Amino acid sequence: MKVTDKPTSVVLADDDVLLREGMASLLQRSGFDVAGQAGDAPQLVTMVRELRPELVIVDIRMPPGYSTEGLEAAREIRASFPDIAILVLSAHVEVEHAMDLVASGQRSGYLLKSRIINVDDFIETLRQIVRGGAVIDPELVKELVAARRVSDPLDVLSAREREVLALMAEGRSNNGIARELFVTEGTVEKHVRSILMKLRLPEADDMHRRVLAVLTFLNAQLAGSPAEDLADAVG
Amino acid sequence: MTASASERDQEHRAGVEQAARRRVAVLVAIAVAGAQTRAELQRLAAEQAALRRVATLVAGGSPPQEVLAAVAGEAGRLLHVDVAVLSRYEADGSATVVGRWDRPGAPPGTGREQEPGTGRERKPGTSAAVPVWAAGRRWGVMSVGSHSGPLPAGTGARLAGFTELTATAIASAEAQAALSASRARIMAAADQTRRRIERNLHDGAQQRLVSLALQLRAAQQTAREAASPEAGELAGRLEGAIREATEVLEELREIGRGLHPAILTDTGLRPALRALARRSAIPVELNIQVPGRLPEQIEVSGYYVVAESLTNTVKHARAAAVSVEVGVAGDALRITVHDDGIGGADLGRGDGLAGLKDRVEALGGRFRLDSPPGAGTAVRVEFPLAATSAAHSASTSASAGAGQVHNHEGDR
Ligand SMILES: Nc1ncnc2c1ncn2[C@@H]1O[C@H](COP(=O)(O)OP(=O)(O)OP(=O)(O)O)[C@@H](O)[C@H]1O
Ligand SMILES: [Mg+2]
Repeated sequence: MKVTDKPTSVVLADDDVLLREGMASLLQRSGFDVAGQAGDAPQLVTMVRELRPELVIVDIRMPPGYSTEGLEAAREIRASFPDIAILVLSAHVEVEHAMDLVASGQRSGYLLKSRIINVDDFIETLRQIVRGGAVIDPELVKELVAARRVSDPLDVLSAREREVLALMAEGRSNNGIARELFVTEGTVEKHVRSILMKLRLPEADDMHRRVLAVLTFLNAQLAGSPAEDLADAVG
Repeated sequence: MTASASERDQEHRAGVEQAARRRVAVLVAIAVAGAQTRAELQRLAAEQAALRRVATLVAGGSPPQEVLAAVAGEAGRLLHVDVAVLSRYEADGSATVVGRWDRPGAPPGTGREQEPGTGRERKPGTSAAVPVWAAGRRWGVMSVGSHSGPLPAGTGARLAGFTELTATAIASAEAQAALSASRARIMAAADQTRRRIERNLHDGAQQRLVSLALQLRAAQQTAREAASPEAGELAGRLEGAIREATEVLEELREIGRGLHPAILTDTGLRPALRALARRSAIPVELNIQVPGRLPEQIEVSGYYVVAESLTNTVKHARAAAVSVEVGVAGDALRITVHDDGIGGADLGRGDGLAGLKDRVEALGGRFRLDSPPGAGTAVRVEFPLAATSAAHSASTSASAGAGQVHNHEGDR
């Protein structure tokens, strides 16, 4: 485990104690400093104010409503502490939640809870988020890219470009995509430029804006309406 | 006896005249009677036609509130009044307006007289009300009124006659309303159960499985650290177990989604339908115009209508595309799912469509299936938004002042 100068401090929130403890020991083993554990959203928010961790990992569904409390807490934390990285975990992934979170700023992640099990990938994802990235669950991206559309705007893309688009939506950097596809970063840059041009997507210098633009595009196309709020989303 | 001839003559003429007069009188009487009979016959025919229309509605399974409204409408038109109101007594002694008819273009009543049967002061003879006996009890009251002048003589009696004849229709509409309400309750309970199971899956079984897999991971790491061949083999076996747990998790997620999509409860119909469209094997053209959230039962039922229709399209239609239109028109949520496939869908052949029809009607809505062979299939449904049950919607759509109707049925 690559331990840098100081371990990343984390606050965890999940109403399931067993799972929370399991996750805490996993993080500890992986060189994180688990500063606090919360059982619901208000407790999490209080803890974050006190401890100012670098990273928050929060279950989306918590008491009392068992709905989207985690997402709301994330929004609240974002508003006060925009630098804190936030990973929202959920038993099911929804594009609306993903866009909601990514739109709130950089250092955002939205993953299926079961991703924790692949510890190495999970830890890498956490580091990516802390470094400033935006990470979206591949399951959700796969669904968005695979969705059949009446007149599919993705038809203009080559198979390779579709692959690159999906990885962009997951929040991979050009370098990350290059490693995934075993090509050079220059090749990836070419693909990305071509995709942006073909889909008339704006260039985004920020990872989370790029993710948001791609998600918004994929989602808007499905509604059968033009990508209305694309400009707003990308700012 | 010389005068007798003329006398006789005179007598004869008088007799003839008298006879003629009598004959005229008889003729006139006959003519008048004929006219009366004709009017009577016409009235009878009109009454019969009105009854037939009501009976047709009942037989056609129209929603109860529609039948009750029709009864009021027929009474109003039949008696040439300006307004007719049918009210039902509730268990607490109050009355609820369940059907109201206003003559189109009738001069608006002065506020004082617009509600016949309210028991408030009215000009004498401008309203009439009769009790409605149905299902062996005093069910409610039917009242009619005129804004402009006194009602024709005998209106009360005719109203009584007509009301008596419609009692069967009212009773069966009422029974159907009770049936719908109980069906709606059963459905709601079943939906709640599915939701609860889904929640238990997510918050119980799935969480446990993730915990379990994490423990296996920890054990695996310990085994790896031992760095012996046996421990290495154990680590490999644990990898298999972890993979299996991951697969079960995926299956549970699938099952949970089929039971009740959490997004529907969390965020509403629109995102839930978009998720359905995204996962459809046939491209879906979506047009959803729904403002915010709708009553829970309607959101759930609307979701099932689209889900089942899309499943059918994929399973049976051999369609190239399917469109889903969802919108609110007036007081109703309208959903149309239309594919361009082979058509020929049949309610009687499976459980899916018949189940949808039951579901929609239990909420007081309408279900229509258009599926001519070779010309695609359209499922059209409409849910009343005013309330979630038929009986309820009749009372909420009724005008204010409904509660004042009771205590007033002795006008006849
Ligand atoms: N969109 C459609 N296009 C063509 N045929 C259809 C369509 N939808 C339904 N059908 C026909 O109508 C029948 C009844 O449909 P229904 O949904 O009630 O039952 P099902 O799909 O066969 O079974 P299930 O009970 O699982 O829904 C189907 O068996 C099919 O033959
Ligand atoms: Mg079916």
